[in-house]
Amino acid sequence: MTPAWRRYAPALIFLLPALVGLAVFRLVPILWSFVLSFYDWQIFDQPSFTGLDNYIHILTSPVSGQVLRNTAVFALIYVPGSIALSLVLASVLNNALRSSAFFRSALFLPYITSTVAVTLAWKWIFSTRFGLLNNALAALGIDAAPAWLADPTYALPAVAIVSIWKDVGFYMILLLAGLQTIDPTYYEAARIDGARVVRRFFRITVPLLSRSLFFVLIIAMVRSTQTFEITYALTEGGPNRSSTTLAYFIYENAFIHFQMGYAAALAYILCFLLGLLTLVNFYFRRRWVHE
Amino acid sequence: MNRRVSGPGALLALYGFLVVYAALSLMPFAWMLITSFKEQAALFQLPPSFRPSLLFTDTPMANYSVIWNERNFVTFFRNSAFVSFMAAIGQVFTCALAGYAFARLPLPGKNVIFAIILATAFVPTEVTIIPEFLLMRGFGWLDTFLPLIVPSFLVGAFGTFMLREYFASLPHDYAEAARMDGAREFRIFWRIYLPLAQPALISVFVIAFINNWDELLRPLLYLTSPDLYTVPLGLLSFVSQYEAAWGQLMAGSVISTLPLIIIYVLTQRYVLAGFSGGGVKG
Repeated sequence: MTPAWRRYAPALIFLLPALVGLAVFRLVPILWSFVLSFYDWQIFDQPSFTGLDNYIHILTSPVSGQVLRNTAVFALIYVPGSIALSLVLASVLNNALRSSAFFRSALFLPYITSTVAVTLAWKWIFSTRFGLLNNALAALGIDAAPAWLADPTYALPAVAIVSIWKDVGFYMILLLAGLQTIDPTYYEAARIDGARVVRRFFRITVPLLSRSLFFVLIIAMVRSTQTFEITYALTEGGPNRSSTTLAYFIYENAFIHFQMGYAAALAYILCFLLGLLTLVNFYFRRRWVHE
Repeated sequence: MNRRVSGPGALLALYGFLVVYAALSLMPFAWMLITSFKEQAALFQLPPSFRPSLLFTDTPMANYSVIWNERNFVTFFRNSAFVSFMAAIGQVFTCALAGYAFARLPLPGKNVIFAIILATAFVPTEVTIIPEFLLMRGFGWLDTFLPLIVPSFLVGAFGTFMLREYFASLPHDYAEAARMDGAREFRIFWRIYLPLAQPALISVFVIAFINNWDELLRPLLYLTSPDLYTVPLGLLSFVSQYEAAWGQLMAGSVISTLPLIIIYVLTQRYVLAGFSGGGVKG
């Protein structure tokens, strides 16, 4: 028998960089953030321990109430919107199209290109007077088009539209992989029984795809709480905070106001909400996901 | 491929929907490209024209040359290329070593470590970024490329996961044969298994490169000298300085998008395999 250290030395050496990374950039920051969330600390001052004050303030202040509401509204547009759209697109693509490689790339392109660059293109498209969108709407006879990014009612939906546009291709690829595992004979049988397209979609496609759909749902929920780049490049959270979601609010508090403790508490609230959503998802999983 | 929808009407509607959505999906790219070939006066013409008017003048690339030379995009581009390349190479290196160890080498408790790496990947960036910033400040790394490279170099749950699967799927006998010859573990890894894992290594590299090229938050926090700006940061600093110069801005956007489109086209197979296999970023 070789001594233990000689047997395990190779594995430890191979794992060394990953373990250093795990400790320094994951475990330490996760704990540090948690500790920070109980302090009042403006980065240039001395930190002072304030217990649960940050959390209490977050849960009672009207500003963070608005931010949490914005986060929920964003998620309620983004999650159903992107999943419904990617599901329909994936099933159309899966219905034997000769040029599906072209369409797949066309839909996936927004996901892999530079976020800031495409968001700026959208900013130009949303421009109230000279933008492509409002001029297209005018050509269709809609003259009372909103000012989009300058209008508190429409700024957040605009951020959601760009986010959906960007991510749909990614979800579609994941769903397409799931669709390709469904046995075509189910559809044959359904067709012989005379089931129509919509019925086949809800009775065969959705149940048999439920595992992929569950996976996509989890990813979409996680991503819906983490929108930063698009918000930053499109609206900077405005006008009047109308498009400030939790992730953006954390950035603002930590790196513009340098309220490190308060921002850390916000981050832990975000983490808690995500954990809760994931648990709820897993709880309902057996109701609709077929193994 | 025998799953056609019933009736020509339904088929037409589905095709129609797909074509319309594909057009919407590509429209911002087309508009970006057209705008990048317009002179300032043509931008504010109503209704907007789809004619890339600069192409019909003596200086078709005017917006590009302003942005590239005078606005220093050549520097931003070089910075982004350097940072993304280093970060991606580092990630491949660390993830390959770790993935191999998790798949192949004996170590008690290695599955627990692997589970911790995966679990911590689900903790949102917002939680770790504040202490990360404080760490970088403590190291004296602010306003250098190190905070953009080192974390990506050392942390890659998705890449580790993917390469662990890949190494586990390769046959074991090569290693047994080599061990009998007295080859050291690192030699076995380096000479036999690493070359075999090439497709997975390319996936991890390309996805890491794209993610780092796209990164906005870290450059925003860590870089203050314009000479060190990456492309996304350069683009945004341009927006705040030259609000209405959409022609030049869109030229900059095309420049920052083009490398990713080229990489995607060249490595599409690996990228799609990577994304649909792992699905998790980071």
